Amino acid sequence: MKRVFVDLERCLGCHSCMIACAVEHSLSKELFKAIQETPLPKPRIEVRTTEKGDSFPLQCRHCEEPYCIDACIAGAIRKDPETGLVLSDEKKCVGCWMCVMVCPFGVIRPSLVPDKREKVAIRCDLCQDRETPACVEACPTGALFFGEAEEFKKAAGKEGGKKNALLNSG
Amino acid sequence: MHYLIVGNCAAGVNAIEGIRKLDKDGEITVISNEDSLAYCRCLLTEYVMRARRGEDILYREEDFYKKNRVNLILGKEVVGVDVADKKVILQDESFLPYDKLLIATGATPKSLRIKGEEKYGVFGFRRLSDAEEIIKIAERTGKAVVFGGGLIGLKAAYGMKKRGIDVYVMVKSPRVLSQVVDAEAAQIIGRWLQENGISIRTGIGPQEILGDDEVEEVILDNGEKVRTNLVIVGKGVMCNTSLVKGSPIKTHWGILTDDFLQTNIEGIFAAGDVAETTDIATGNRTVNALWTAACEQGRIAGMNMVEMTKRYPGSIGANSADFFGLPFISVGFVRVREEGYEQLIRSNPKEFKYKKVVLKGNRLVGFTAIKDIENAGVYTALIRKKVNISPVKDILLEDYLDYPKVRDLLEEKEGLRESISMQGDTIRIA
Repeated sequence: MKRVFVDLERCLGCHSCMIACAVEHSLSKELFKAIQETPLPKPRIEVRTTEKGDSFPLQCRHCEEPYCIDACIAGAIRKDPETGLVLSDEKKCVGCWMCVMVCPFGVIRPSLVPDKREKVAIRCDLCQDRETPACVEACPTGALFFGEAEEFKKAAGKEGGKKNALLNSG
Repeated sequence: MHYLIVGNCAAGVNAIEGIRKLDKDGEITVISNEDSLAYCRCLLTEYVMRARRGEDILYREEDFYKKNRVNLILGKEVVGVDVADKKVILQDESFLPYDKLLIATGATPKSLRIKGEEKYGVFGFRRLSDAEEIIKIAERTGKAVVFGGGLIGLKAAYGMKKRGIDVYVMVKSPRVLSQVVDAEAAQIIGRWLQENGISIRTGIGPQEILGDDEVEEVILDNGEKVRTNLVIVGKGVMCNTSLVKGSPIKTHWGILTDDFLQTNIEGIFAAGDVAETTDIATGNRTVNALWTAACEQGRIAGMNMVEMTKRYPGSIGANSADFFGLPFISVGFVRVREEGYEQLIRSNPKEFKYKKVVLKGNRLVGFTAIKDIENAGVYTALIRKKVNISPVKDILLEDYLDYPKVRDLLEEKEGLRESISMQGDTIRIA
């Protein structure tokens, strides 16, 4: 199952991934049109920082046993049995923020439906319409990697980035 | 193997899925005293305000039961459990045998216990049928009186106000949400509701309901009279335990459950609003009658009905709502009335902003946020995992407190959910 992985040592905190994500999830899918949309499109990946000040890109981990699914009062969140992706049906979401309340990673965010005023909880959907997620394509340093866990371990290991090879590795 | 589930809401449906995870062949029967397929009770607000139609609030697709090979019995009431003979007794005196039983009968709104309450026009806010009747009367008269300022009462009031109905909320306590958040947070939310057109009066309760067959007027406990044809009761809920009365199944507030959500009788489990569990934040035995808790409990109980392997970590009081665009979240123990707790608060009532954490020693036990709610789940994880938060105490109230800041603290702890990690990854979290 393909996922987005992060080599933390390569992330410079340039926020290119965030811009690409917000544009990808806008109505127009073009930067200069997207910034004029109301509501302003929000990214589903965010570059945060650790307590030491290091950059730390973060998005939905598509948990094995997600708290958000239990929490959803609208039955809008499902785990795809084939891909393992945890996806929200934004049409079913009523914006109660139960999922925001329980996500231990803080990667589900309150937002508004593009072009409408309706509340909706958003999260990384791994860009279902694209071959490679927009954030990965936009990353100038190769800190973001899209593929199988094994592939990533190999790729990161080769270049000595082992320490932070797997985002969140235990 | 015949699994019998009494109740067809959050806990019941998740139990079906829990069972089917581990047992594809066993026979599953679900029996419910409601006539409809499982629906999202919490969405009655959206139903009333016309944001969702009846078919939109179904919890699972219509073919869910067929797909999971469930024998679904609707509109039948279970009135007793014969533990010795392993069967449940129905109201019509027929019975259903079981090998494993899950009691997920939920709860019923508490009544007002006043004269005239039986008249047509007095409703709880729990069943689709309540909402349908409420709409009928409200459309005709344009006015509703809500007794109770808890989440249910306020969600009912909010739904009706959004539909254009005049809503009067009467609360016996000095403020709304007195069981959910602290006084300051309650005042902020109460003021916001009033500014958005919901009338709220505190320190007032009902004394008597007048009218022939239908509600026409309510006498308040200060002697005042209010004309209305619609009264909504949001005074909390009582566990539906009547079916185990006279059986050896033990109850206290609710049906007592162990770490595997099994009752004191082997092979009989309880989950959802009827189940009494241990609260993670306080350590007390309690009924956390919440959708979120019911889903988790149902799933775990279902799995344990097949194979006793899944430990339930305990429930946590956790609420989230959004009224007129003002979101708030409150988790764990937040209404501090005794010594031994430390509270850190950042409040800006003018902008309807509030953030508070409650600490016991070096542990986070409670959290409230109004307006800025991003990263709320990070706090919930810190509470659940009973993390020593001393290293981040100084930044606990900051908006930049997020997962990367507490990652090391969270990961020192063994996961409460062992394999929450993403596929192929090795994280252990929450």
